[in-house]
Amino acid sequence: MKLFGSRCDCVLAIVRKDFLLNLRRRATFAAMMMFALTTVASLSLSTGGAILDEKFLAAILWVVIFFAATAGLSGTFDDEAQAGTLSTLKLYGDAQAILFGKMFVSMLSLLALTIFILPIFCVLFDVNVEKIFLLLATILFGLIGLAAAGTLTAALTTSAKIKGGLFAILLFPVTLPIFLPAIRLTEISFTSAQVDSSLLVVIGAFDTILILASSILYDYL
Amino acid sequence: MNKIIFLLTTGIVAAIIFFVPPIKGLGELAKIIFFHVPTAWVSVVAFFSSAFFASKFLRTNNFSFDELSARAAKLGFVFVLLSTISGAIFSKLTWGAYWNWDPRQTTIFVLILIYGAYLTLRAAITDEKIRAKVSAVYSLLSVLTVPFLVFVIPRMYFSLHPSPISSSGVEMDSEVVIVLVAAVVDATLIFVRLMRR
Repeated sequence: MKLFGSRCDCVLAIVRKDFLLNLRRRATFAAMMMFALTTVASLSLSTGGAILDEKFLAAILWVVIFFAATAGLSGTFDDEAQAGTLSTLKLYGDAQAILFGKMFVSMLSLLALTIFILPIFCVLFDVNVEKIFLLLATILFGLIGLAAAGTLTAALTTSAKIKGGLFAILLFPVTLPIFLPAIRLTEISFTSAQVDSSLLVVIGAFDTILILASSILYDYL
Repeated sequence: MNKIIFLLTTGIVAAIIFFVPPIKGLGELAKIIFFHVPTAWVSVVAFFSSAFFASKFLRTNNFSFDELSARAAKLGFVFVLLSTISGAIFSKLTWGAYWNWDPRQTTIFVLILIYGAYLTLRAAITDEKIRAKVSAVYSLLSVLTVPFLVFVIPRMYFSLHPSPISSSGVEMDSEVVIVLVAAVVDATLIFVRLMRR
């Protein structure tokens, strides 16, 4: 119990450290937001206010979230990698505390991104959300998986010569099991079609698998 | 082993040209399945082999397992490309379009993406130890998509892909089945031979 408590303290300390660093140096966060805004605005502008199919709209939303997330999450371990402090950090807390701390910060960043971009997306594409709770649940479940896979992928790319493109290349195939059901559920939330809740279970199950796998595999890095 | 592979391959090619009747409802050109199915099979075998050797490397830190994992991935990438191209030709012959995101096409495309990502990751890291660890972890992470590709995707999308095995049994001529099984065995032997190079 005491061990669990001290591990939670480590996780919280890492969350606090990364949160303060992100606040102090807002460039990464701002880049993620601006990337999402620019993409949504350019797509809306290029379609010229045309009425788009709900399936297409749902796909646009998730593509924007994915690529904006890659802009923000790829540098999750960059500070420690550049300063050479990752091993020191592992001495302070253990590897699991670092992973879950980083994962939590990634999740917060993605939530902030979605809170920022979703209303803009709905306004610019004139989206009528029929099932708001389904949409919110889908986004929440989708972001959990994206944060879990994104954090481990960021750890994998810290030693790579190329990072930006590589991160997206690595992340996309492993998060596809989240995106395809999430796009379908988002499409349903834009229409009056019947809800297929089993798809939400699929995303939740895959989130759990990704978190467990990240936890197991991170120890080998 | 080389002699067995040579004889088997020659025998299969001869059987496809001279003995196998046209595939039911698909005609002579659809004989490309004797190339497509074995290459698709080997690309999946290579995927699991790569993950298996990756897990062996993480447990033992023996770099020969890393080498085997990378070799399986490289071979898998070649086989998955061959399978995709032959599958697209088969698709054009039977459905009139090279690509329509059929569940099987989606699965094979995800395999291409995973193999491509794995090989790009290896190329992007110069330190041998880090490269081995990182690529082994990615190899195992990507295996997690398999249950989704096998069980969920077919439920989400309608498939036009022919299903030779149904509830009433195998729906192919016995000559076709025999040659197809032989071709799968032959392709697997070629993969094993190339792995032992």
